[in-house]
Amino acid sequence: MDPSRTDLSQLDDALVLRAQNGDHDAFGELVTRHQRRVWMVCRQYVGQDEADAAAQDSLVKAFTKIGDFDRQAAFSTWLTRIAINTCLDELRRRRRAAPIVDEPGDEEGGGVLAILPDDRAGPEARSIQRQAVASLEACEGILPPRQLEIFRLRFYAELDLGEIAEALDVHVGTVKTQLHRAVHRLRKELGEYR
Amino acid sequence: MKIHLDELEITAAVSGLELETVAEEHLASCLSCRRQVSSMRGLLGARRQSLEAEGPDWQRQRQEILLRLPSAPTAGSYRRQWIRPWLAVAAILVAAIGLRMVWTPPPADRATSPELPVEQILAEVDAILADDSIPGFEIIEPGLDDAVFENGAS
Repeated sequence: MDPSRTDLSQLDDALVLRAQNGDHDAFGELVTRHQRRVWMVCRQYVGQDEADAAAQDSLVKAFTKIGDFDRQAAFSTWLTRIAINTCLDELRRRRRAAPIVDEPGDEEGGGVLAILPDDRAGPEARSIQRQAVASLEACEGILPPRQLEIFRLRFYAELDLGEIAEALDVHVGTVKTQLHRAVHRLRKELGEYR
Repeated sequence: MKIHLDELEITAAVSGLELETVAEEHLASCLSCRRQVSSMRGLLGARRQSLEAEGPDWQRQRQEILLRLPSAPTAGSYRRQWIRPWLAVAAILVAAIGLRMVWTPPPADRATSPELPVEQILAEVDAILADDSIPGFEIIEPGLDDAVFENGAS
């Protein structure tokens, strides 16, 4: 873990201690610090429409169970684990309720990419970048589930390798191998865009 | 001098995995290889930004979460685990104090009383021992016992 992560983790620990005694303000501060990452994790599992609800459920669950947190791992890792479990429960519930249908917006990628912030690039460069991002999004679909999971947690939720290993309960060597394979496969598929 | 990084090394660099020292040194000095790495990382960053742009209103989300919180977290197993030994000690102490309060000692027995007339008992024993008239213990011939022990044989 790099030094800045360690500092963040220490600040988290102080807030966690207060939250364990029922301090809502302290937990509110933890929410502010982690809600983006939690949402991004949920976004990878349940899609855009359900990500907000899943992130909220995860954070409420985290407060309810914060007495269980023994601070052996970083709070962010523990929280990520809760978010992943919440999403997996939601996916299981969906599977029982109805067959999974892919989100149409995810495949096309048009609406979101149109608001991609890049003021410095000209129209042509922005257009190329949008195409490249859309291409990457499409290529992600060919990755095996475990590789895709690790790839997204690394690059979009910005977890480090150790955090991913702990959150998924796998060896860090497995994370490295799967991540390398995923990036290699994507670079191969992306061709000119990479 | 190392030639350019191969595809697997570029992939490792993009992924933030360790490179061999030679490859690391080459990457630091080679603009072409660095461009390949930064180009892919830039694409991944752009994709992340596009995902972040889909995010909800963070302030609204935070408020909704805080409204849903219970008044206090449930006492977790970690805390219960920490408290358990102290609860056990406290329970033993309470039980011991309770027993001490309920239990009343039996009335003092004469045989175990600290006020036993020890001197009187010893005097009675001495009197008995001094009495030669106890049947079966009479001294038949004074000095015989001494003679036996002095000679080592009867």
